[in-house]
Amino acid sequence: MKRAWWKGLVVPAALIVLAELAMRVQGSTSMSLAAPSDIVAAFFAILFDGSLLLATRDTLVSAGIGLAAGGFIGLALGILFGLVKPLDRLMEVTIEAIRPIPSVAILPIAMLVFGFGYRMEIAIVAFSCLWPVMIMTRSAMAGIEPRLLEVSRALRLSTWDRVHKIVLPAALPRIMVAFRLAASIALVVAVTVEIAANPLGLGYGILVAQQALQPAVMLAYLVWIGIVGYLLNAALSLMQQRLFGRAGRVEAAS
Amino acid sequence: MRLSRLGWLLASFAVAALLVWGWQLIADYKLVSPVFLPGPDRAWGALVKGFSTGDLGVKLLATVERMFWGWLIASLIGIALGAAIGTSPRLRAYLAPMLEFLRPLPASAMIPVAIAVLGLSNGMVLAVIAFGALWPVLLATIHGFSAVEPRLYEVGRALGLSRASVIWKIALPSASPDILAGMRLGLTVALILSVVCEMIAGRDGLGNWILLAARSFRAPDLYAGVILLGVLGYVTAVALAALEARLLVWRSRAR
Amino acid sequence: MRAPDTTVKAAAPVIAFDKITLAFGAKTIISDLSLEIGRGEIVCVIGPSGCGKTTALRVAGGLIPPTKGTVRLLGEPMAGPRRDVAIVFQDYAKALLPWRTAAGNISLALEAAGVAQSERGDRIRDLLTKVGLAGHEDKYPTEMSGGMQQRIQIARCLAQDPAVLLMDEPFGALDAMTRQGLQDEMLAIVAETGATVFFVTHDLEEAVYLGDRVIGLLPHPGRIGIDQRIDLPRPRNQLETRETLEFLRLRRTLFDFIEKAEH
Repeated sequence: MKRAWWKGLVVPAALIVLAELAMRVQGSTSMSLAAPSDIVAAFFAILFDGSLLLATRDTLVSAGIGLAAGGFIGLALGILFGLVKPLDRLMEVTIEAIRPIPSVAILPIAMLVFGFGYRMEIAIVAFSCLWPVMIMTRSAMAGIEPRLLEVSRALRLSTWDRVHKIVLPAALPRIMVAFRLAASIALVVAVTVEIAANPLGLGYGILVAQQALQPAVMLAYLVWIGIVGYLLNAALSLMQQRLFGRAGRVEAAS
Repeated sequence: MRLSRLGWLLASFAVAALLVWGWQLIADYKLVSPVFLPGPDRAWGALVKGFSTGDLGVKLLATVERMFWGWLIASLIGIALGAAIGTSPRLRAYLAPMLEFLRPLPASAMIPVAIAVLGLSNGMVLAVIAFGALWPVLLATIHGFSAVEPRLYEVGRALGLSRASVIWKIALPSASPDILAGMRLGLTVALILSVVCEMIAGRDGLGNWILLAARSFRAPDLYAGVILLGVLGYVTAVALAALEARLLVWRSRAR
Repeated sequence: MRAPDTTVKAAAPVIAFDKITLAFGAKTIISDLSLEIGRGEIVCVIGPSGCGKTTALRVAGGLIPPTKGTVRLLGEPMAGPRRDVAIVFQDYAKALLPWRTAAGNISLALEAAGVAQSERGDRIRDLLTKVGLAGHEDKYPTEMSGGMQQRIQIARCLAQDPAVLLMDEPFGALDAMTRQGLQDEMLAIVAETGATVFFVTHDLEEAVYLGDRVIGLLPHPGRIGIDQRIDLPRPRNQLETRETLEFLRLRRTLFDFIEKAEH
């Protein structure tokens, strides 16, 4: 695999060259597309005038706070339902009724309650991140090797000791996977909310560029959003590997 | 065992009913402004009225159609492309890194680009939905086809199966659990993107309906629409789970 | 069932390895191996790990082309897998299609051979009866024990109507009782069909019990170290055959060979 890394670059490079040629031949006066070289120029323009970094900050702050809030609630509920089985069963219908609501459907409600701005975006991101974290935490606690629980019983550990010495550490790798998934959801939802309604962040930036008929700027935003998403994903999987080594990777694959 | 499961389910329904009743109390005593939170009675009323006198049914149908066609296109392209890439290590070497890079890109970020290229048309909406729902199907299919047990290919060779038979009888069924999982995820994405596109592009449908309801402070209509979207999400998930259970009987029958 | 082949003399070998050498890169797995197996013969192949016994079987099955030399089947050079050469793999759980029932798995071989759908049902029922699985046609492999799964694989191979059965440690993963039962069933089936058998195993007693001949391979690179005739009378019996002095003598010979081969 090591020697073939360059193969991954062949197709994208060819596509970029092809796009450049096509735009040059056609004359780059298009209102909807731009040549790669113009996109790079536009990228540096918005990078140096600060608008790109400002938008990135807005998006990441909203996504981050939303992830933290939704993740915390989801984690707490997941642990609670994982530990107290009767409660889990009593809440089953309620949760199954709320969970399938598409995250963007609550956008108008958030808009009504909070108006535009950070709070509305954070609320929607939190709502979206809550479910995967809750469900995966709950199943992580249910999926603990039964032998470990027998061990804890044999050692006569107290309930509290059992939870924080055995159950939580055993469930931690899978909970981490849940947070990684939630983080990618957070970014997607944040950008979506910005494009659909909220006038801030990267999503709004790309929408404004489109409406101002600046295709190069629009595509520069698009490429940048892709890079941010990729880096976020890479950073999280690196963190996961550092923390849990092979165990974390195996869980992520399943 | 059966009976206690039913008992828990009933108790669980009772809890849900209790919560709805609590919601009703909050609304009745105006603990939260009725501008934000109408009671369940008013939301239900708006739902019934929307279906009987309004055109809520038409909007629902528009959203369902959009979601379904986008998802279908995505599934067909995703399975065909995924099969080609998944069965060819060479194609994988060239394309996999690019796909990995594109995967975390929010599909909604393509909406402005699609608007720029295709305008505010139904074709644009369909393209965005299909593009977004394509990724989960494509990546799952690639994974499914590349993870086929090599021994089974040898069995195919030893039996003298044709190449088409190997793909149809060995690789495709072997990848089917992954493909179906990808399609399930794709359907969720398709629903979300249908709603988003309706909001942004102002196409007729539930997404547009709830956005307009919120803008004109018709909270009961808004909640009726959100409930309907929840039902839609639930019904599609259940339908696909049933399809999966039917197609993958062999998985559930394991000892 | 098969008509005697008049073009090949009765003594002509069914499988002939002619100076086979197989190398992966710089590593030689098998070196200059020549071997002839006659019609209806059961040849068991033993040897320490790394001697290339499984690789030799895969070459015989046409799954790997040899680097040098030729394998002939009934006089014709092998160009790839053939339908009249059936392979029973050791890892039955991986070699069966988990999404097909017992009947469906056997059907795969019939579909490959182009047997009409109307004929398949009867053939499948016969084959299942032959391997002792009548009435289990609608079970999925995951619902069956290891012994039953291996029986399905054997039935699928018999569906190919093979002239040659290549068996790669087929009973290695089974418990002792199941293994002995399957050994006897296999001998009965082979006696009935007259197939030629190339049987790879690491169990010396199994080799002596089943074989007409036992070939012992030496490792690094794989080559023939011993070619032992087994003249124990047939039909063989799990208790009586294994208690005869001849059986114990042969077992001792092969045991000594393996011990020397490993050092």
